[in-house]
Amino acid sequence: MSKLSFRARALDAAKPLPIYRNKDLPDLNDCVSINRAVPQMPTGMEKEEESEHHLQRAISAQSVFREKKENMVIPVPEAESNITYYDRLYKGELRIPKQLFHIQPLGLDNEQPDYDMDSEDEILLNRLNRKMEIKPIQFETMVDRLEKASTNQMVTITEAKLLLNEDDYLLKAVYDYWVRKRKNCRGPSLIPLIKLEKRDGSTNNDAYVAFRRRTEKMQTRKNRKNDEASYEKMLKLRREFSRTVTILEMIKRREKSKRELLHLTLEVVEKRYQMGDFTGEVLSEVTAPLAEKPVYTVPITVTNGNRHNHKAEIKIKSGGLPYHGYHHVSVKDEDPFDFVRPKKKYTRREPLCRPGRPAKRQHIVNKADIKQYDFHSSGEEDYPLSPTSEPDEENDPDGTFAFRRKAGCHYLPCLDQTSGLLWDHPELAGLDALRHRQSLTALSVPQRCVGLARRRVGRGGRVLLDRASSDLDGVLKQLDSGVFSSSFPKGLSDPQVPTQNHRTMPGSASSLTDLLSNIQALRWRFFRPRSTQGDGSGEGRTGRPSMDNRLSGGLFVHTKNSGSGELLLNPIVKTAGSTDCIISKTLDSAGAHFAASAVISAPGQVNNENKPDNTSVNGVVQPLGTSRPPHSTSTSQGGTGLDRSGRTPSSCGPLLPASHSTTPQSLPNHRGHGSAVSPAHHHHNARPSPSSLKLATMATSSLDRVPKVTPAISSMARDNHEPERLALNGISETTVPMEVT
Amino acid sequence: LCVPSTFINIHFQYIFFRQVDVIEGCRLPVLRKNQENEDEWPLAEILSVKEIPGRKLYYVHYIDFNKRLDEWVTPERLDMKKLQFPKKEAKTPTKNGLPGSRPSSPEREVPQAQQKCLPTKTSIPDFQVLQQQVQPPTITVHLCFDFLSPLFKSSQNGTARRPMPNQPGRKRKQPPNCGGTDEDSQDSSDGIPSAPRMTGSLVSDRSHDDIVTRMKNIDCIELGRHRLKPWYFSPYPQELTTLPILYLCEFCLKYLKSLKCLQRHLTKCNLRHPPGNEIYRKGTISFFEIDGRKNKTYSQNLCLLAKCFLDHKTLYYDTDPFLFYVMTEYDSKGFHIVGYFSKEKESTEDYNVACILTLPPYQRRGYGKLLIEFSYELSKVEGKTGTPEKPLSDLGLLSYRSYWSQTILEILMDLKPDNGERPQITINEISEITSVKKEDVISTLQYLNLINYYKGQYILTLSEDIVEGHERAMQKRHLPIDPKCLHFTPKDWSKRGKW
Repeated sequence: MSKLSFRARALDAAKPLPIYRNKDLPDLNDCVSINRAVPQMPTGMEKEEESEHHLQRAISAQSVFREKKENMVIPVPEAESNITYYDRLYKGELRIPKQLFHIQPLGLDNEQPDYDMDSEDEILLNRLNRKMEIKPIQFETMVDRLEKASTNQMVTITEAKLLLNEDDYLLKAVYDYWVRKRKNCRGPSLIPLIKLEKRDGSTNNDAYVAFRRRTEKMQTRKNRKNDEASYEKMLKLRREFSRTVTILEMIKRREKSKRELLHLTLEVVEKRYQMGDFTGEVLSEVTAPLAEKPVYTVPITVTNGNRHNHKAEIKIKSGGLPYHGYHHVSVKDEDPFDFVRPKKKYTRREPLCRPGRPAKRQHIVNKADIKQYDFHSSGEEDYPLSPTSEPDEENDPDGTFAFRRKAGCHYLPCLDQTSGLLWDHPELAGLDALRHRQSLTALSVPQRCVGLARRRVGRGGRVLLDRASSDLDGVLKQLDSGVFSSSFPKGLSDPQVPTQNHRTMPGSASSLTDLLSNIQALRWRFFRPRSTQGDGSGEGRTGRPSMDNRLSGGLFVHTKNSGSGELLLNPIVKTAGSTDCIISKTLDSAGAHFAASAVISAPGQVNNENKPDNTSVNGVVQPLGTSRPPHSTSTSQGGTGLDRSGRTPSSCGPLLPASHSTTPQSLPNHRGHGSAVSPAHHHHNARPSPSSLKLATMATSSLDRVPKVTPAISSMARDNHEPERLALNGISETTVPMEVT
Repeated sequence: LCVPSTFINIHFQYIFFRQVDVIEGCRLPVLRKNQENEDEWPLAEILSVKEIPGRKLYYVHYIDFNKRLDEWVTPERLDMKKLQFPKKEAKTPTKNGLPGSRPSSPEREVPQAQQKCLPTKTSIPDFQVLQQQVQPPTITVHLCFDFLSPLFKSSQNGTARRPMPNQPGRKRKQPPNCGGTDEDSQDSSDGIPSAPRMTGSLVSDRSHDDIVTRMKNIDCIELGRHRLKPWYFSPYPQELTTLPILYLCEFCLKYLKSLKCLQRHLTKCNLRHPPGNEIYRKGTISFFEIDGRKNKTYSQNLCLLAKCFLDHKTLYYDTDPFLFYVMTEYDSKGFHIVGYFSKEKESTEDYNVACILTLPPYQRRGYGKLLIEFSYELSKVEGKTGTPEKPLSDLGLLSYRSYWSQTILEILMDLKPDNGERPQITINEISEITSVKKEDVISTLQYLNLINYYKGQYILTLSEDIVEGHERAMQKRHLPIDPKCLHFTPKDWSKRGKW
C-alpha cells in the first residue's frame, strides 16, 4: 500500500471495528506503520519507574513470549510462610457458616483492654501471684486504664486509686511497675499507637503521622458543590440540638422545682391544719417578717397556680356559657395561698433577682396580650432581664409568651438598690410588701379607685385584676377617680413635686392627702384608665363595657362588662402582712382590644395619659420616682420635655375616663423612660395605632424593670376611637383576712 | 558549613588517603544476587549510613531497580573503586519521584542489566567537575563535616544533600499552616498542593517524599503463617520500627511488639474473618466489605500493612472516604487475608480502585487478577466503567494489562460472525461489557498491537501468537469471580452526606 502519506482518522470509540485474523489479511504488514496514528496511551505509571529494568524486562519478555517466563518476573523481597507455631498461636477452628457474615453496625464484642501483656509483665504477674491471685486480663485492664487516663502526664497514685478499684497492695504494685515501665518506654504510650496529628499543623510533615482528619475544608468540587452548604446546615442543626438539650435540661429543673413546691405546699397545709390555723393568722405572723425582705418568687407562682385554679372554677361556674356574662364568684382560699407560702420560704434566688420578678410577671402578661394583637416586636424590647432568674421563672403558663431577647434592644440591669428607701422603714413592712406587688388602680367605669390591685392575663387574654386589701383601703376608697380628676391636676402641675415629697412615708399615708402626695412623689404607682390607645386592628366596639365589681364578703368579686367583652373579676384574697383582697378581673378575648391596651398599661404602672405630663396633673405617682431614681427623673423630664415639645396641657389625659376619651394621645409620655420611644410618637394624637401600643408596652416594660414596684392603681385603657371605655371597678372593701392567691 | 566543599574534601581524602568515607548521596556499584542467584554489581545510591557496634551499614538504592529492593548492606558489598560523589548541584536522585522529570520510553530496550554494566554514567565526568572546583582541602573541614553528618541526617531528614529542584509546577512542600489546606489542596490542577488534596485519593503526591519515607522502616512482619519483608515505608508507631519482627494479628491486623503480646491479644480477639460484611463467597474465596468510616481501626491497620507494599500511596488522611474489599481464603482456622483493594465511596474521576494489593505470600498465583476482576464486577453492578487510580506500580501495570488483555481478547475471540458478516465491535461496547474504562481498552488494544489501519478504516487483528498466548493464559486462570455469588448493592454515597 503506497497510501501511507494520508493521515489516518482518529480512532473513534463509537465506530465498529471489524475483527480479522491475521491469516485473513496477508497484506496487513503493509499498513503496520500507520498504527502510529493511534495516540499512544499513557501507561499510568510514574515515568521514573517505567524505566526500571525488571519491569522493562518483564514487558519485553511478555511481548516476545506472550507469557511470563519464570525468570522474567519482577523480583520482590522474599516472604516465608512457615511459621511453625501458628496452630498453637491461633487456637480453635472455625466452621464455615452457611450464611455470609454480616457485621452488626455496633460492636458485638465486649470491651477488652487494648493493652497486651508482654513477657516482662508476666514476670511481675508471677511474682504478684504468689501473694494474691491476679489474672492477666485483670492486669491488662489496669494498665489499660492507667494508660488511657494518662495524656501528657501520667496519672498520680491518687488518681490511680480512683481509676482502679483494686486492692491497695495490688494497686500499688501495679502502679509502681507501670510508672517504671512507662518511664523506660520509648514510645509515648505503652499501647503503641499511630502518631496523631497536632492541631497546630506542626506535624504536617511528620512521616509517622497518619490518618489525619479531612475536616479542615469541605470539598466543593464537582458533584460535591452542595457539601459546604449542607455542612453549615449540619453545624446549625447541631447548635440547635444542643440548645434543645439545654432547654430540656431547664425544663427538667423547673419541673423538679414545681414538684418540690407542691410537696412543700402540701406540708404547709397539713401543718396549718394541724395547728388549726384556719384563719391564716399564724401564717400571717410567720409571713410578716418575711415580707420585710420581700421574696418575689411568690407572686409568680401564685399567679400561675391561681390562674389555673380560677380557670377551672370558671369553667365550672360558667357552665355552658362560653364567655359571656358569667360571674366568677368563688375563690378557694387555701390552695392559692399555699402556693404562696412555700415560695416565700424559698430563697432559692439571690435577692438580686427577686425584685425584678413581679414586674416581669406582669410584663409577660403584657406580652401575652400583645401577642394577641400581633405586636410581638414591642414590649419585649427593653426588658430588664436578670438572666439568671429566667429559666426557672418560665413556668408553664408562659409557654409561648416566654420572654425572648430581641436583637438590637437594650436590656438594662435591674436597679433594685434604688428601692432601698422603701424598705428603710420596718414599720411599713406589710404595706410595703403589698405595695410592691400591687398598684393603686382606678377603674374608669365606675370611676373609682379600687385600691391595690395587680393585673395579670388569664387564659384567652382575659385580664384579671387581683385586688389586695390593706388598711389603706378606707383611704383609698376616697381616692376614686372623681377625686383624682378634680384634685390632681393642680397638684401635679408642678413637676418638682416628686422630689419635694420624697421623704414622705408612703406607708404612713393614713390620710388621703398623704396618699396623694405619695402618689405624686412617684412612690406609689397608680393605674388609671386613660383615654384609650388602641390597637391597629381598629375593631370598633360599641358596647360599653361596664364593670360591676362587688366584693361579697370580701371573698368574691365579680365583674361583668356588658358589651362584647367581659371582664371577670376574680376575687382573690390574699393574706400578706395585712389582709389583702385581690380582685382579679378577666377580660375575655372578645374584649381583647381593650384588654390589650389595658394590659399594655397594666404591667405596670402609670398609664400613658398620666405619664409625664400627667404626672403632675393627675397626681399619679410614677413608680419610677421611688424605685428607680434615674428613671423618675427622666420621667419628670419627660413631662417637661413634653411641654417643651409643644404639647398642650389639654392633650394630657385627665384621670377621668370620660376626659380621656377626648385625649387619647398618651404616647409621648413614654418618652421619658423609654429610650426607644421617639418623641415623634406623640404626634399620633387621637390616632391610636399599633405602634402606639407597642410603645406603650415598651414603656411599661421598661417600667417593669423597676425591681420594687410601688403599688399603684392601674387603670384599664381602652380602645381608642371609642367613647366608651372599659372600666374595671374594683372595690376593695374587704377587710376580712383572706388569702387568695 | 559549606556542603559542596565538604564533598570535595571527601573526594580528596579518597584520593589521597584511600580512606573511604561513603556518605549519603554517593553512588557506587553494589553487589547483589539476582534471581538466578548470580552476582551482579548494579550501580546504587547510598541513602543512609548507620553505625551499629563494630561496623557501618549502608542503605542502598539500586538505580533503575524498584525501591522495594533497597536494602542495608555491609561495606564489603560496596565497590569503592568506582565510588562517585554527589555532584555539587546535589543532583536529584532518579528516584525522588518527580513525575516526568526524566523522560523515558516505555518501549525502551531492556538494558543489558544482567552483566555488571555500570549504567551510562561513569565516574569520570563527575571527577572532572570536581577537579575544576578543587580548592586546597583542609582536614579540619573534613573532620567538621564528619562530625556533623549524623546531625544532618536527623535534623534535616537527609534532605540537605538533595534540595528539591524548583521545577515549575512543583514546589517543595512547605509546612502548611493550620487551616492551610486551602483551595490549593482541593484542586489538583494547579499542581502545588500544600498538603495532599483531601479528595478520596490515596495517591501520594510525593511532596512528602523525604529520606524517612524513602526507606523501609520495618524489618519483618509476622502475619499468621507468614513472615513478610516489607517493601516500603509504613507509618507504624515509631517505637515499633526497631523491632526485628512486628507481629500482626492475622484477623484484626493489630500490631504487637512481641509474640507474647500477640498471644495475649489472641485470647481477647475473637475475630476469625475481617470485620465487615461478606459480600461474596465462592469456594474458599470470600470478599468482605469494610467501611473506612465505620471500622476505622481495622481500616487503619489494613492500610498500615498495605503501605508496606505500596509505594505511591500515602496514609496522610483518614480512611473515611473509602471502602475496603478484603479478599480472604478460608481454611479451618478462619478467613485469611490474601489481598484487598480500596475504593473511594465517591470518585470524581471514575476510579474504581484506589489501592490494590495481593500480599506477597499469595502473589503470582492469580489472586491479583481475581481482585481486579472483582473490582470490575462491582463496577458492573454499579453500571459504571472504572479505572484504577494512578500511578500504577510496575506490578500493578503488569497485572492490569494482563487482566485487560485477557478480558478483551475473551470478548473478541468469542464474537461470532453475524450471518456471514465479519464480526465487529466498538470500543464503547467493549467498555460497557467489561466496565473497563475506554482509555484502558484502547491502551490495551494498542499494547497488544491489535489496532491496525486497513483500507481506510481501523480494524482489529488477532495474530496467531496472541490467540495462542491467550488460550494458554486462560487455561492457567484461577476460577473466575462468579457474579451470581456477589451480594452487593451499591450505595449512593452522595446522598449520604459525607461518606
